[in-house]
Amino acid sequence: MSLADLTQASLSRVASAATAEELEAIRVEVLGRKGTLANLSKDFGKLSPEERAAFGKDLNAAKQSLESAFDARKAGFDSAALTARLDAEWLDLTIPPAGQRPGSLHPLTQIQREIEQLFTSLGFAVLDGPEVESEYNNFDALNIPAEHPARDMQDTFWLDGGFCLRTHTSPVQVRGMKLLKPPFRMIAPGRVFRNEEVDASHEHTFYQLEGMMVDRNVSVANLIYFMKTLLSGIFGREVTVRLRPGYFPFVEPGFELDIQCLLCDGAGCPVCKQSGWVELLPCGLVHPNVLRLGGIDPEEWNGFAFGLGMTRLVMMRYGIEDIRQLQGGDLRFLKQF
Amino acid sequence: MKFSYNWIQELVPSLKASPTDTMRQITLRTAEAEGLEPVGQHFGKVVSAKVVEVEPIEGSHNRKVVVKSAQYGTRTVVCGAPNVRVGMVAVYCPPGVEIEGKKLTKAVVSGVESDGMLASGKELGINRDHEGIVEVGGGIGCTPDFIIEIDNKSLTHRPDLWGHYGMAREVAAIYGLELKDPVKVRPFPEELACIDVAIKDFTLCPRYSALIFENVRVQPSPLWFQYRLESLGLNPINNIVDVTNYVMAELAQPMHAFDADKVQGGIRVRNAHESESIAALNGDAYQLDGSTLVITDDSGPIAIAGVIGGSETAIGPATTRILLESANFQAASVRRTSTRLKLRTDASMRFEKSQDPANTVRALARAAALLQQVCPGIRVKGGLTDVHTELRHPAPIVLPLDWLSRKLGNDITPAQATKILARLQFGVSELGENELEVRVPSWRATKDISGKEDLVEEIGRMIGYDNFTPVAPLVAAAPPPANPSRAFQHQLRTLCSQQGYTEVYNYSFVNAEQAARFGLSPESHVRVLNPIASDQGLLRRSLLPGIHRNLVENAKHSASFRLFEIGYEIHPVKGQPPLEIPQLVAAVYSRQDGEGNLNELKRLLACLNPALTIQPTQALDFEHPGRVAEVLLGQTSIGRLFELHPSLVKGRAAIVDLNLDLLKLEAKQYRPVRKFPSSDFDLSVVAGPRVLVASVAALLTDPLVERTEYLMLHPLGDGRNSISYRLTLAAPDHTLSAEEIAMARERIITRLREAGLELR
Repeated sequence: MSLADLTQASLSRVASAATAEELEAIRVEVLGRKGTLANLSKDFGKLSPEERAAFGKDLNAAKQSLESAFDARKAGFDSAALTARLDAEWLDLTIPPAGQRPGSLHPLTQIQREIEQLFTSLGFAVLDGPEVESEYNNFDALNIPAEHPARDMQDTFWLDGGFCLRTHTSPVQVRGMKLLKPPFRMIAPGRVFRNEEVDASHEHTFYQLEGMMVDRNVSVANLIYFMKTLLSGIFGREVTVRLRPGYFPFVEPGFELDIQCLLCDGAGCPVCKQSGWVELLPCGLVHPNVLRLGGIDPEEWNGFAFGLGMTRLVMMRYGIEDIRQLQGGDLRFLKQF
Repeated sequence: MKFSYNWIQELVPSLKASPTDTMRQITLRTAEAEGLEPVGQHFGKVVSAKVVEVEPIEGSHNRKVVVKSAQYGTRTVVCGAPNVRVGMVAVYCPPGVEIEGKKLTKAVVSGVESDGMLASGKELGINRDHEGIVEVGGGIGCTPDFIIEIDNKSLTHRPDLWGHYGMAREVAAIYGLELKDPVKVRPFPEELACIDVAIKDFTLCPRYSALIFENVRVQPSPLWFQYRLESLGLNPINNIVDVTNYVMAELAQPMHAFDADKVQGGIRVRNAHESESIAALNGDAYQLDGSTLVITDDSGPIAIAGVIGGSETAIGPATTRILLESANFQAASVRRTSTRLKLRTDASMRFEKSQDPANTVRALARAAALLQQVCPGIRVKGGLTDVHTELRHPAPIVLPLDWLSRKLGNDITPAQATKILARLQFGVSELGENELEVRVPSWRATKDISGKEDLVEEIGRMIGYDNFTPVAPLVAAAPPPANPSRAFQHQLRTLCSQQGYTEVYNYSFVNAEQAARFGLSPESHVRVLNPIASDQGLLRRSLLPGIHRNLVENAKHSASFRLFEIGYEIHPVKGQPPLEIPQLVAAVYSRQDGEGNLNELKRLLACLNPALTIQPTQALDFEHPGRVAEVLLGQTSIGRLFELHPSLVKGRAAIVDLNLDLLKLEAKQYRPVRKFPSSDFDLSVVAGPRVLVASVAALLTDPLVERTEYLMLHPLGDGRNSISYRLTLAAPDHTLSAEEIAMARERIITRLREAGLELR
């Protein structure tokens, strides 16, 4: 077969190859080392120099045209194969994934952490105190001696041996004063207990955060500034606060701090009982007796203290209507946070 | 504590502020007002009317009554009261008036149209009498009023605010108005005291004042007088008792009236003897003891001092002479007694706030004046009895004004401070340029105000805290000390929640049954002496009862779930504060059968610290006997991993319970990445039943073994298992030769054989 015929015949076979495998077989048959094209150049040596040059040129041209035909056809098969594979690999991405989904942190843990971080950024130490306290730390050291009517303000769970479940986080003030040297700033979040009947808005077990700052010349004006800054940080917005007299034996003067109702902006709504204000935290300047009992000279140092109701804050933030859910252990409730 | 706005207005006659504004100002400057309640709003619309006709209605106990009044003329009403009679003056309520919250309308009663009604004392809010209709002497004398309710807690430190006069003093100071003293202390007759009083211990009873009255007629008080007491929640009884309550509500001084003819001999104030008892006015009998202060006559106790009177000497219809007691008792003693007897009275509530001894004689003077009004013809017999210890006048307080300004953080002028203190009836004089000398009035000196700090509050609150400019505190910038254990707990919480566990908080209280279920006796717990319910009497010394409840409850509506809690176990320690141990309990539940739950918890343990190991151990009663292990960190057991015994839960629940004082996170330690390649080979070991995968792995050690990885366990069908491991060998300083690897393999196989194991 002449070169021209072979080329022509091979090109038409390439064009009609049905699969990549068939194409490869043709390529080996035609262009392989022992292929038909190579066979034709076997007689190369018998040709004259002129014929040799002309034949060589034709042979190269034929080889090139065949190679490009093979490549083009192969690319066609490859791309068809890829398209087919991609099409076959279609996935329904809406199928929910297998495996464990993350759990969740208790809402009290979350808010407690948030507030701890806020205070840490303001230079406050975070202290812990035990849930079981001595009567002395829970009351006497906070200027609430036995037979003081203020003991009625906190219904107490009494334990064997003169101990009690702490009724507030304030005893950590007493511990803090012994642990830290003035000037200092500290907070103490934790679980507290009151012997109260439980209903949708009352719990015998709830969470508080105690705060105390001891320095030189801490004033009422400082306290107001600080509380305003702090609450704006907690609520993530400007809050209007109001201080009014409140009686707590461990502070003098003592205050109840109200914030303007965040739901109605002071216009009056059911949450604030139409008053425009929500009672949020008791605070005051630390009573000199408390400093003295903590081994701090009240002539040199003074400070302020406050107690933030964490449970209350969580309920306000999420609009939780029943306080009992927080310790009810129902995952349908807890998984929402 | 309830305050009548009208009463305050009587004491501050120029008060123009509305009840609402007055309440708001009291809240902002004195004590927390909880609400405002309108009372007697029908007065002015209801009138006194003469009964001119009473006719029976057939078939009914009701009667048809015709009344005549100046305002409404002649009206016909139906009345069921047994005491209605021609000629009496009753209170007529026309239709449209609201009585006990309901609007009156014309209605047909017993077949007769009733054009309004005749009202009882209860319906009018004058007293609690609903036996019949009110009979009026002259006019009704009652006016609409508003009751301001103040939170008792915010009055804990203010003995003076337990009476209207004290609150009126605050209101006068707030608005800058004049205060009218209701007491006119005229000298009592200079006669011999009619009653002999002796006080055993002046600490417990600093003062006892008394007067005797004769020509007494016990009868109901005038309507306006009853109305005033009833509005405050004080039950009107009779004119004598009502006067004692009225004075208490006005001056905060509790009083007691004895029937003087039933008191035998003189009065002795002393501690009770152990065998004594008293029948009290409330109908109960009380056993007394040596700590109870009592008022006695020759026959024994006739009152529990500061708490309640006895029934034997009580005022009755036949009483003609009374002994009026106005005394002062030690706050702590009254409080102890009232707590012990579980008897809180209006008197004990006031005395426990430390009442002012200076007030006793003022109260007697006020009572004498009121008795003239409500008990015509009454006469004081003899002179005043007034036994007291030396009444202390506290030393004046020196108030440096620059110190005051520093405390408040805003500048206060001497004039400002003086004005405020003077309005509150402190004595003020200037000591020097910048210093005041402040004399505390007796009613503030018993407990409330003892130092200059207390004056900061007086001045601050009267200025109004809204009027202060907030000032940023000047403090040193310093990083706060760290709290590693709290940070650790936060880390663990994050880790557990990331692994799919939801955090729960359980109560600290458990009951004996729950404790017993987890192998703990009630005696091993700290006991609550006054639990809220009998089944919450123990403090948890394990978190497991709470977690168990969570598992059982959530299994009702969930087929599988994971949860965890970090909390404190409370362990009693003899003679010491209890030990509080932080624990982490995590649990995996699934309704289906399998051992996957335990493996999930093992994965959690690996996340907590890869160095934790598991050592199978003897099961406790609540644990699945074949699925329990101790969790070890090094040689220390830090907790248990187990499946809950199937009798305790439907489905399967795996639990891990770890002591967080012992658990440590893995310490990070860097080693350079090895430069020379490693080589692997696999080994399959044939082991008998229940030979532990970990104990075989422990044999696969060699200096060249870098890592041993468990691959699989294949049961051979004869009770034995084939356990496969992949061993990775390497050296830090060269590539291992084939010979070295073969020798290491030989050493390991020898060790296996020595342990009685064969290769497969």
